[in-house]
Amino acid sequence: MSDTVANVDPAPDAADAPGAPKKSGRRLDGETVLMLVVPPVLVLLTFAGYVVWRQTADLTGAELEQLAWPLVVDLIQRHVSLTLVSSALVVLIAVPLGIGLTRGPLRRISPLVVGVANAGQGAPSIGLIVLLAIWLGYGFWTAVISLTLYGILPVLRNTVTGLQGVDPTLVEAGRGLGMSSAAVLLRVELPLALPVIMAGVRTALVLVVGTATLATFINGGGLGAIIQTGISLFLPSLIVAGAVLVALLALLIEWLGRVLELVARPKGV
Amino acid sequence: MWDFIVERREQIAYNTFQHFNLVVQAVLVATLIAVVLAVLVVGAPRLQGVANAISAIGLTIPSFALVGLLLPVFSIGAFTAFLAVAFYAVLPVLRNAVVGLQQVDPTLVESARGMGMSRLAVLWRIRLPLAWPVILAGVRISMQMSMGVAAIAAYVRGPGLGDYIFRGLASIGGANAVNYALVGTLGVVVVALIADALLLLLGRVTVPRGIRA
Repeated sequence: MSDTVANVDPAPDAADAPGAPKKSGRRLDGETVLMLVVPPVLVLLTFAGYVVWRQTADLTGAELEQLAWPLVVDLIQRHVSLTLVSSALVVLIAVPLGIGLTRGPLRRISPLVVGVANAGQGAPSIGLIVLLAIWLGYGFWTAVISLTLYGILPVLRNTVTGLQGVDPTLVEAGRGLGMSSAAVLLRVELPLALPVIMAGVRTALVLVVGTATLATFINGGGLGAIIQTGISLFLPSLIVAGAVLVALLALLIEWLGRVLELVARPKGV
Repeated sequence: MWDFIVERREQIAYNTFQHFNLVVQAVLVATLIAVVLAVLVVGAPRLQGVANAISAIGLTIPSFALVGLLLPVFSIGAFTAFLAVAFYAVLPVLRNAVVGLQQVDPTLVESARGMGMSRLAVLWRIRLPLAWPVILAGVRISMQMSMGVAAIAAYVRGPGLGDYIFRGLASIGGANAVNYALVGTLGVVVVALIADALLLLLGRVTVPRGIRA
C-alpha cells in the first residue's frame, strides 16, 4: 500500500520544490506561508499595542474594573476552554458519524443527512444559543452544546467528502493485500482523507471561537462579556478593547488550526 | 405558538421582510465591491495571495466583535448592521471571483483580443460571464452567512428577525420567550432558504447557455 502512495506523490512534491516550473503549486505555497507568518505577527503587534494602551490610557472606574488583568485572563481562559471543549466534542461526534455515513447501508442516506445539516447551518447561531438556554438553562455547558451543534457540519461534510474522494482502487489494493476493512479504513482511507477532514476541523474551530463570543448572553463566559458590558454601559473603549481581544484570539485559533493541518498531513499526501 | 404568530402576523411579516431586505442589499453591494476588487487583483499573482489572506483573516473576526468595533464610529442602528453584514459578505465572493476569473482559459481571452475586442469588452463579454457560476456560488455562501450576521446585528438595533431572538433572550422565564426565540430563529431559516432558492433561479437565468452544467 505504501508503495502505491509513494508512486503517487512525486508530482506534487516536485511542484513544491524551489525553482520548480509549475506555477500553481508555488502560488499556493506562497499563500500558505503568508497565512502562517502574517497572523501571529499581526496578533503580537496588536496585542503589544493593546498592552501599551491599557497601561497608559486614562480609564474610568467601570473600564478599569472590566479590563483588570485577572478578569481579562479569566475571560480568555473561559473563551479558550469553550472553544477547545466544543471543538473536541465536534471531532469526536462528526468524524465517526462521517465514517459511518460512508459505509454499508448508511451510505445511501448520507446526502440526506448532509443536506439536513446544511439547512441547519442556516439557523442563526444566536437563535440556537437562546433556544438551548431556554430549554437547558444558562451556563457553560449549554454554551458548549450549542457551539458543538454549530461546529459539527463542516467536519461531518468534509469527512464524508474526504472519504468519498479516496481512490477506490487504493481501497481495493489494500483489501487485496489481505488487510481487514477496519485496517483499510485506519491505514489507507483515513490518512488519505485527513487533509480534507483537517480543513473541516479548521473551519469548525473558526466558527466555534467566533460563536463563543455570544456565550456571554447565556452566562457561558468568554470575551464577549467585555463587548456586552461596553455596549450596555455605552463605553466605546470597552467595546473596542473587547472586540480587539476577541479578534486576536480568533486569529490565533485559526492559525493554530492551520499549523495542525500542516502537522497532521501524512507524508506523501 | 400558532396564536402567537397569528396575533403578530403583520409585525412578523414586516420584520421578515426587513431581514431579507437588509441582507439582500448588503450582499448586492458586497458582490459589486468584491467583483471589482477581484478584477483589479487577478492580474497580479502576489496581490491575489494578499486578497486571499485578507479574506481568510476577515472571516476569522467574530461578527459580534465587528459590530462592536463599528459601534463607536457609526452609532447604534441600521447602518451599522448594514456595514457589518456587507463586510462579511464581501469575503466569500472575493475569494470565488478571484478563482473564477483565474480559471478562464487564457486562449479564449487571447482570441477575443485578436478579434479586436477592447480589454473592457473582453472583461464584460468573456471573462465575467465565464466566471459567473463560480462568483454566484460565492454569493450563495455570502447570503447564508449574512443571515446569521444580520441576526446578531439586531443587538445594536439592526432591523430584522434577530430582534425576536434577543426579545426571547430578555424574557427567558416569561410565557413568550420560546415563541419569540423560535419565530426569530425559524424565520431566519425560512428567509435563508427563500433567498437561496432565488439565487438558484438567478443562476438559471443568468449563467450563459454555453457553460450550463
